[in-house]
Amino acid sequence: MGRYEKVLNMLMDYDESIRLAIISNTSGNILWNSKRSDAKLNVPIAETKKALKRESEDWVDRCKAADRTALGAPLYHITSFEKTKRVTLPIDAFHLLFLSVDNTPMKNTKKKSYGRMVEMGKILSIVDFVNTFE
Amino acid sequence: MLFVDKYEKLLDMIMDFDETVRFAAVTDENGQILWNSQRTGLKNIVSVSETKQTISRALHAWKENAGFKKYIGSGLYSIASYEKIKRITVPLDNGKLLFCTVNNEPLKLAINRRKSYGHLADMGKILSIVDFIKSQK
Repeated sequence: MGRYEKVLNMLMDYDESIRLAIISNTSGNILWNSKRSDAKLNVPIAETKKALKRESEDWVDRCKAADRTALGAPLYHITSFEKTKRVTLPIDAFHLLFLSVDNTPMKNTKKKSYGRMVEMGKILSIVDFVNTFE
Repeated sequence: MLFVDKYEKLLDMIMDFDETVRFAAVTDENGQILWNSQRTGLKNIVSVSETKQTISRALHAWKENAGFKKYIGSGLYSIASYEKIKRITVPLDNGKLLFCTVNNEPLKLAINRRKSYGHLADMGKILSIVDFIKSQK
């Protein structure tokens, strides 16, 4: 199994709220993907592809900004909607990871909920772990 | 509450709630900074022109994100996390945008244990402040 497939498998295994995981190149073209079997995707795949293109362009800008400034390396980007969180992060110099994560509030929330927390530390540690393999 | 008061209050509340917030601004739909607040004693790590570019890119992204409302609901916030800071944007009313930067340098305690990827941004608190301000007349 390749490194990128391993990332997708580990991510899908670790958190059931991840509905779709995609690895794209830096132009936003989908190279590998994994969809949770019982999950219904709310966004048509054509729209997701458009979002990936824009995200990949934004990542190029972010990396350039990091080179020009003292921000440090860019780690991840989250866009949160009422029903879904979109997470993108660079896996290496040539590939991006895109995740669509369920964001519908838990039923037992007492006060207004703005959705679920995405455990980015865990996601980043999975990516770092898989990147130690060649 | 007057428009000016409303957004100044938003910035005050954001700066008061968490000392890791370094800078907060409200922009119009064209990316012009209308109000801003910077934590005293902190030095900018990026230039104002760089911040304006970031805001412009964020506004463009939020305009495109509006097209996803029918599928996944309204956009709530975005976070771009770098090793040293997090940049947060929250869409406000009438195309306005809240932009803030938050310190993201790992807590010293975390160094001895395992690799830290920075601070958690308390988005629930930030969004509840935004909702409170939106509810003010």
